[in-house]
Amino acid sequence: MLLVLASITIITLDFRGDTSGVIPALRSTAEDAFSPIRSAVDAAVDPVAGFLAGAANAGALERENALLRAENGALRRDAIQVAATRARMAAISALDHLPWAGSLARVDAEVVAANSSNFASTIVIDKGTSQGVAVGMPVVAGAGLVGRVVQAWSTGSTVSLITSTSSQVGVTLGAKGSLALAAGQGRSRSLQVDYVAPGTRLHKGEVLFTSGLQGGTYPPGIPVAFVRSFSASGSSTQENVAAEPEVDLAGLQYVSVIEWEPSP
Amino acid sequence: MRGQVVTRGSLVLALAVVLQYAILVRISFRGSHADFMVLLPFGAGYVAGPERGAAFGFVSGLVADLFLPTPFGMSALVGCLVGYLSGMAASGLVRPAWWVPLFGGVGATAISLGLYAMLGYVLGQPAMLDHDLFPALAVALPASFVLALPAVRLVSWALRPAGRTRPSFAEPAR
Repeated sequence: MLLVLASITIITLDFRGDTSGVIPALRSTAEDAFSPIRSAVDAAVDPVAGFLAGAANAGALERENALLRAENGALRRDAIQVAATRARMAAISALDHLPWAGSLARVDAEVVAANSSNFASTIVIDKGTSQGVAVGMPVVAGAGLVGRVVQAWSTGSTVSLITSTSSQVGVTLGAKGSLALAAGQGRSRSLQVDYVAPGTRLHKGEVLFTSGLQGGTYPPGIPVAFVRSFSASGSSTQENVAAEPEVDLAGLQYVSVIEWEPSP
Repeated sequence: MRGQVVTRGSLVLALAVVLQYAILVRISFRGSHADFMVLLPFGAGYVAGPERGAAFGFVSGLVADLFLPTPFGMSALVGCLVGYLSGMAASGLVRPAWWVPLFGGVGATAISLGLYAMLGYVLGQPAMLDHDLFPALAVALPASFVLALPAVRLVSWALRPAGRTRPSFAEPAR
């Protein structure tokens, strides 16, 4: 009974954020201690995994393939951004107090683990506080937004993906740049886009960009997802919009952490 | 005796962390993977009784929580409940067959993941119950079928009474 009460107390304190940084510090220390072991196991397991994948040089091909995919994604992101930015540049330029994602410094990182829990959408990357990564920083991959850093230690970080049920990203969509909220619905599920007024002109494949609002969680201008479907019933107060992340979150190998911290 | 249990228990927890977070998380199917950590409270309850099962489950849960993005303490709560329940269930067994801990481990995994998802639901993460639970069960239950006996043997080695010469993985607490 005592242990149950102790557990409930710990959960409550952590949930309310009343631990004065003790729990994040404990988690960072544990991850710092564990990182060398994970690296050693990775070094031992990767060649075996590559061999089992089917080809003698699978490791090199996988790496090259991942780099090409990242490059292809970056080009795709650039193309998307150029097309959309022409229409939005005037407005963005006027808001010169807002940082534009494309102009911000980045830290490139490799994904070293995914989904430490069966109940969370997270990845672990190999760059941490010693490389300038901090909690709250946005993370992008080739074509768009991946998520944000929720825990950082000296040699690595945990990133919560945009599909996580705790994720809400302020986005713009439509020709008028209407504001909406893209909410995660769980691993490998579409994002649900809320607050889209009925009658908003949408089309399948339309790209949603971070708005820079939503409490300043993300800088503006990062591609987030594309519209997969939309509909509105007669009595509905908003369009039912489902969107797929621009990035293939299941196959992430390399990401970039944008050195941008949310406004307090 | 107490020092020996603490030392062995710490070694078992360290080994379990490496197994879980460096190896098993890499072997995932559609984002779900085996969960060795949830078998430790079951093993502790099975070989050492409800009270020690709850205590070991609490500690192993806290250790697991260090590496999870979910609210701290969730695994500890589930661990102490499952450790206690496993100990209670095992104390009713007179002469169990070798496969009892095996199926018990699978059952404990189902209860652990179910409790975990329900806690998540209560804490405002409905997708843990609505969306994540069944894929997790589909992968973790068959895996627990394989991992249950090693887990019970490991915990038995850590918590066995002084003077016992071999692990008593087929002998529940009385």
